Amino acid sequence: MSFVSIEQAGYGVPSGGTILDRIDWTIGEGEFHALVGRSGCGKTTLLKLVAGLLAPSTGAVRIQGEPVRGPGAQVGFVFQAPTLLDWRTVLDNLLLPVSLKRRPQPADRRKAEELLDLVGLSGLEGRYPSQLSGGQQSRVALARALVTEPPLLLLDEPFAALDAITREELQDDLLKLCARHRTTVLFVTHDIAEAVYLADRVAVMEGGHLRHALPVPLARPRGRDVRYSPRFNALCLELRHAMDGADSGVALERAS
Amino acid sequence: MVRLASALLLVLLLAGWEVYCRVAGVSALVVPLPSAVLRTLWDGLAGGYLLPHLWVTTAEMAMGLAAGCTVGFLAGVLLAEVPVLRRLFYPYILASQVVPKLALGPLFIVWFGFGTTSTVVITALICFFPLLENTMTGLQQVDPNKRELFRMLRATRLQTLLRLKIPSGLPVILAGLRVAVVLALVGAVVGEFIGGRQGLGASIIAAQGMMDSTMMFALFIVITVLGMIVYQAAAGLERWLLRRPWKG
Ligand SMILES: Nc1ncnc2c1ncn2[C@@H]1O[C@H](COP(=O)(O)OP(=O)(O)OP(=O)(O)O)[C@@H](O)[C@H]1O
Ligand SMILES: [Mg+2]
Repeated sequence: MSFVSIEQAGYGVPSGGTILDRIDWTIGEGEFHALVGRSGCGKTTLLKLVAGLLAPSTGAVRIQGEPVRGPGAQVGFVFQAPTLLDWRTVLDNLLLPVSLKRRPQPADRRKAEELLDLVGLSGLEGRYPSQLSGGQQSRVALARALVTEPPLLLLDEPFAALDAITREELQDDLLKLCARHRTTVLFVTHDIAEAVYLADRVAVMEGGHLRHALPVPLARPRGRDVRYSPRFNALCLELRHAMDGADSGVALERAS
Repeated sequence: MVRLASALLLVLLLAGWEVYCRVAGVSALVVPLPSAVLRTLWDGLAGGYLLPHLWVTTAEMAMGLAAGCTVGFLAGVLLAEVPVLRRLFYPYILASQVVPKLALGPLFIVWFGFGTTSTVVITALICFFPLLENTMTGLQQVDPNKRELFRMLRATRLQTLLRLKIPSGLPVILAGLRVAVVLALVGAVVGEFIGGRQGLGASIIAAQGMMDSTMMFALFIVITVLGMIVYQAAAGLERWLLRRPWKG
């Protein structure tokens, strides 16, 4: 059964613009999907519809069959900007999702420290966000979304501010974690190689429409070697063509 | 270094004043000698004449400040949180902002009589507005991304207020407090002009009655020093509450 289903979902603003136009998409349980597209095409908006932060003006979004009516407990969201609380330490920021529900226990603290270690920030738990680099801040934001182990994870360009090596490490860590908890993921990115490396399926958006769907038939777990295999590069090229040509031959080819 | 120069400037200024008054023979009624002012000040403090007045003014200021800031903060929170109330009351709040509050002094004397109560009420009224205004502004200008984060984490309204809006609006709220502290002293002194029996303001009126310019200057000094102390205290409180390393 599909975990997330987006059915004819559209979103418009009162000023008259249509930002999303009748989007159809489903994500099966435990699947990792990526969403790519040029800046301003509506990726963040679609992610917020799925999260329940915005209500679709047409159609519906369902999670496990239930229509989404607002932000749900089973959804973790990593925003495009880190959005950390400047007056809280890194550890307190990590524990925010927990501390809004109950008093954090020593077990929660251990978990937060583990996650901090995972994103390569161990030892910085006492710092304030203003004492971190931009990339370190976005890693804290990622860890914060993971601390409650949500079954559905929505990520909005979480690695955009990172260097290539740190990014590859975090991609592997994310894949490992998601496989361990069978997390369903929708991951927005600008980076073609990142989309192909991470995802089972890549959706290509353009101007508020979903234009293409590209399956990525690479075996898991994917290691470093995969990134340099001819198969991987061929898929990247295919995705690149799909993004380039909205109504070119590639679209028809994929549709057939 | 600059501090030293700044202090030196004061000494030079006082010396020039003293010399000019002595040479030109300016009447002590118009401009008293600095040395005479300092002597009066010393006598007033050491002899105990000024201390009760200083105490009364400080107490009135503190009570007015506490009452005005508390009510102003709570009203600011309420108006920021409940848009209906804001739309309902804001025109009136704006109107009462421009009413010169000190002009209400005589009315308060009718209502509360001469003495401490009138002065405290005037002081509180003056402190109320900067806190109200800044609390409202501070709570409303929260980063929309952080608001969305709290929505995503399904925080309750109270949690959002206490853990997001107030902490992130705190710098603006405390700036309002700093303004209120200075206004509180003005409120207390002027309140005493109008309806005080005791206090530094009332003493200025009494000195004026006796044409004692020297005493009036001595009182100005006391009031100025008091103002600087409370301002520094407020600034210190602000620094302490906002202590965060490398604030960016
Ligand atoms: N509140 C709004 N009112 C009007 N237009 C909006 C609003 N929010 C977003 N838009 C427009 O909707 C479009 C999609 O925005 P969105 O944030 O979803 O883009 P995006 O694909 O995430 O872009 P990026 O990759 O740069 O983050 C943009 O063209 C933007 O200008
Ligand atoms: Mg975006």
